[in-house]
Amino acid sequence: MGQMHQISLNIGPAAFRIASTWRQPLDRLTNLYQDYPEPVDQHVDFTVRLEPEKPWRRFVRPSVHIGGDFWLPDAAPLPLAQGLLAAEMGMNLQMALGWRRHLLLHASSVEKDGKALIMTGLSGSGKSTLSAMLAERGWRFMGDEFALLNLDSGEMHPFPRLISLKNEAIAAMQQTVPESRFGPEMKATPKGDIRHLVPPKEAVVRMHEPAKPGLLLFPRFGYEPELRDMGKSEIFVRLTQASTNYVALGEVGFQSLTRFVDAVPTQAMDYQSLEQAEELIESLWSQLA
Amino acid sequence: MTQKYRAASQDDLIWHALDSMTLLFHRPSGITHMLAEPAPDLLQVMGDAPLAASEIASRLSALFDIETEGDAEDIVLARLEELSLLGLVSKVSG
Repeated sequence: MGQMHQISLNIGPAAFRIASTWRQPLDRLTNLYQDYPEPVDQHVDFTVRLEPEKPWRRFVRPSVHIGGDFWLPDAAPLPLAQGLLAAEMGMNLQMALGWRRHLLLHASSVEKDGKALIMTGLSGSGKSTLSAMLAERGWRFMGDEFALLNLDSGEMHPFPRLISLKNEAIAAMQQTVPESRFGPEMKATPKGDIRHLVPPKEAVVRMHEPAKPGLLLFPRFGYEPELRDMGKSEIFVRLTQASTNYVALGEVGFQSLTRFVDAVPTQAMDYQSLEQAEELIESLWSQLA
Repeated sequence: MTQKYRAASQDDLIWHALDSMTLLFHRPSGITHMLAEPAPDLLQVMGDAPLAASEIASRLSALFDIETEGDAEDIVLARLEELSLLGLVSKVSG
């Protein structure tokens, strides 16, 4: 294989190198991540490789295979037009499978008043869209995919990569965010229509600044607006399911997660519109001590 | 010969009470168990000694309201079998 193109970038505490057979996905990444710092001394935690599925497919209907230090056998190749998505998926995969310095929760997070709001739930719960929306309305964006729980301090660390907007969320965010912050629209990917959104500048400038967890929400889109208490046992189980590295961390993961469940107020939140969600969140937030 | 049972060493366990359940982290396996009553009490009363189900049942009866002795032993036996499958209790030859 010939020389690969590559870029390196820091997202929160993690440093990535993305190497690609093709320039196009890297040019797009460089453009979207232009405000992110490069790793010090070019030290990286993970390498993501975007390569042809078969050598000859570099030119004939090119198809991107995602590789890296960690990979899943069922990660399907994507068409080259979705190379940006492949790079983002590759970075997520490295974090999900390889990161050990924090307890990783599949959750979005935003910060206000020094405290973090963490939102977790199944795909389609709206956690990513909610974090993107709140980030335009006075909250600091910390991440839309992974919330990192510090194993010693119990604080949440930002991981503010590009926000991955899906389907209806794309149009919703286009109403408030200028076109220059959007990546290319990718239609009919395995995850639906995808368009990446660059987080507000503040999120990048403050990406090394952790926050104490203030509130944990389990949002659920499409139901009559309602807030519900949840039992600690249910919260614990759902967070172990939402964590990609709970088992790998062993005892320290157990200690961190039990401390988190004991300390952080938690609610289940049903909603049918972003406005409803914002109203519910602000009312909960104002009641926090 | 009566089958005896020994609970996992307390040094290998980290207990954490939640609302309706008790979490138990087992250090040697790295597995987190979520136990409902009476399993946590059962493990606690076993201490370090190898005990028969009847002895465990009478220790439990001494501490808690348990309806009848006979039922208690059957319940204890069933829970001991489950806990031994999880590696939290081992069978000791009497």
